[in-house]
Amino acid sequence: MAVSNVSKAFGQVQALLDVSLNLYPGEVVGLLGDNGAGKSTLIKILSGNYHADQGTFEYQGRPVTINHPADAQALGIATVYQDLALVETRSVAHNIYLGREPRRFGFFMDRRKMEKDATGMLEGLNIRLPSQKVDVELLSGGQRQAVALSRAIAMGGNILLLDEPTAALGVEQTQQVHHLITSMRKQGKAVVVITHDLSDILDITDRVAVLRQGRLWAYVPSASTTTNQIIGWITGVALPYIQNEAGQ
Amino acid sequence: MISAFKRQDNWTLIGLFITLLLLVALFSWQSEFFFTTRNFINIGQAISIRGLIAIGLTVVMIAGGLDLSMAAVAAVAGMVTASLITLEVNSILVGVLGVAAAGVLGAFNALLIVKFRINPIIATLGTLLFYRGLAFVSTGGDNIVIGVNAWSELGRGSWLGAPITVWLFLAVVVLGMCFMRFTVAGNHLYAVGGNSEACRNVGIRVDRLRGWTYVAQACLAGLAGLMLTSQSGTALPSALNGAELDIIAAVLLGGIALNGGRGGLLGTLLGLLIIGVVQNGLILLQVQIYWQSVVRGAILIIAVTLDSLRRGGGYR
Repeated sequence: MAVSNVSKAFGQVQALLDVSLNLYPGEVVGLLGDNGAGKSTLIKILSGNYHADQGTFEYQGRPVTINHPADAQALGIATVYQDLALVETRSVAHNIYLGREPRRFGFFMDRRKMEKDATGMLEGLNIRLPSQKVDVELLSGGQRQAVALSRAIAMGGNILLLDEPTAALGVEQTQQVHHLITSMRKQGKAVVVITHDLSDILDITDRVAVLRQGRLWAYVPSASTTTNQIIGWITGVALPYIQNEAGQ
Repeated sequence: MISAFKRQDNWTLIGLFITLLLLVALFSWQSEFFFTTRNFINIGQAISIRGLIAIGLTVVMIAGGLDLSMAAVAAVAGMVTASLITLEVNSILVGVLGVAAAGVLGAFNALLIVKFRINPIIATLGTLLFYRGLAFVSTGGDNIVIGVNAWSELGRGSWLGAPITVWLFLAVVVLGMCFMRFTVAGNHLYAVGGNSEACRNVGIRVDRLRGWTYVAQACLAGLAGLMLTSQSGTALPSALNGAELDIIAAVLLGGIALNGGRGGLLGTLLGLLIIGVVQNGLILLQVQIYWQSVVRGAILIIAVTLDSLRRGGGYR
């Protein structure tokens, strides 16, 4: 998926200016930047919640438009929001397949198939939960994040947009989510992670994009940069730096 | 192991069941008339009509709503039914029209709550007064006597040794339980009560589902009004006046949360049985009638307190 020259203004405020990014299967892009840098705006444009003023999108080489969340969904773009949007009083399995439950005779819910599919899905992602039958309210923060990610994948997502997936998590739970991101990469998903947490970002991402004041300030392979350099870009101490895939 | 405890609600049901057994044991020990088939039928008869309304309310509350107007809806449906009977309209048509009239009132509730986004307590408090008023205005406050005719069979007749009202109530309970557990829509209602925003995000038609719960609730209330009219041979504009709170109490006793997403019809059935058994037992023991309300109130408070303590603090 290619995103080219996207701009978006809210009244006088230029939230995004001329931002271009490429997403590839099996690649994780870390989207970094200070508060108000435009990270969330970019995610909301990709998920169809905002409409870009300018810019074009290409999916598998053909131009596409994203005007509504349904357009994004049809392209296989799934977003996992910060507040997770899980139903605490429902089981893990039902949360994963919420809104697209397997049916029988069009009317009845095929609980057995749903639970079997959920188990398979969790195993495929290497997620360990006590049972897919427990209610989500009994799970830890990391486990909930895992359920939210599983739903995004169950919705047929090939491009996953994760908005601060580790914001409210402890150290160990953050590790779990990072494992999850890694296993989604192995499954060939294109993943965009918004985060403030720089500690492991270079380990789990293939490339990092730093937004500053709505512009793409830096865009480099993770292997060729350091945490200090990223902090420099985020705060604007370091000069803009864009490196393409060929390393130029 | 976990799966046995997966739903905290199971403990509520076990607690209610034990309470019911203890009450039955107590009254059987105290009164020789209690543990008889005849008396159990009495209890069933006593809870069936309010039970129909309680079943509807349970579904509304699981989806995160509330309906205070249901007893008034039952009264209007009773008045409509009785007037049609005095006009000698075909019996089946009378039944259909009576329930349909209630359904229209339910649709108006749904309109206020789902379209105009009025808080369900306020909206249905308004329609409670409005509908109750309509029931009185329709005859200037008079009762409509229909006497004993083909219609009375519905409320007074028996089948296989039990009143038809009890069978009807049990059928609605079983159908409702199957609906809530096995259908996609029933499971969506639970999810909507748990987190309506999450449901909207995944494309569930939250408003439509919620709207239908109010219509279904009103239709069941209409059916209750029909049965009551048939049973007593008279439609009263004041029918079930004040029953709203008793019905809500039974539903809450059964483990339904005010903020939705939890509980089930089995809990409501147990709540109704407990209240029915207490009511019946106190009468058999010739306890002064005014104690009824005291005891029912105490049971509700104790049950909800225990539940809240067990969950580690419910409302904060």
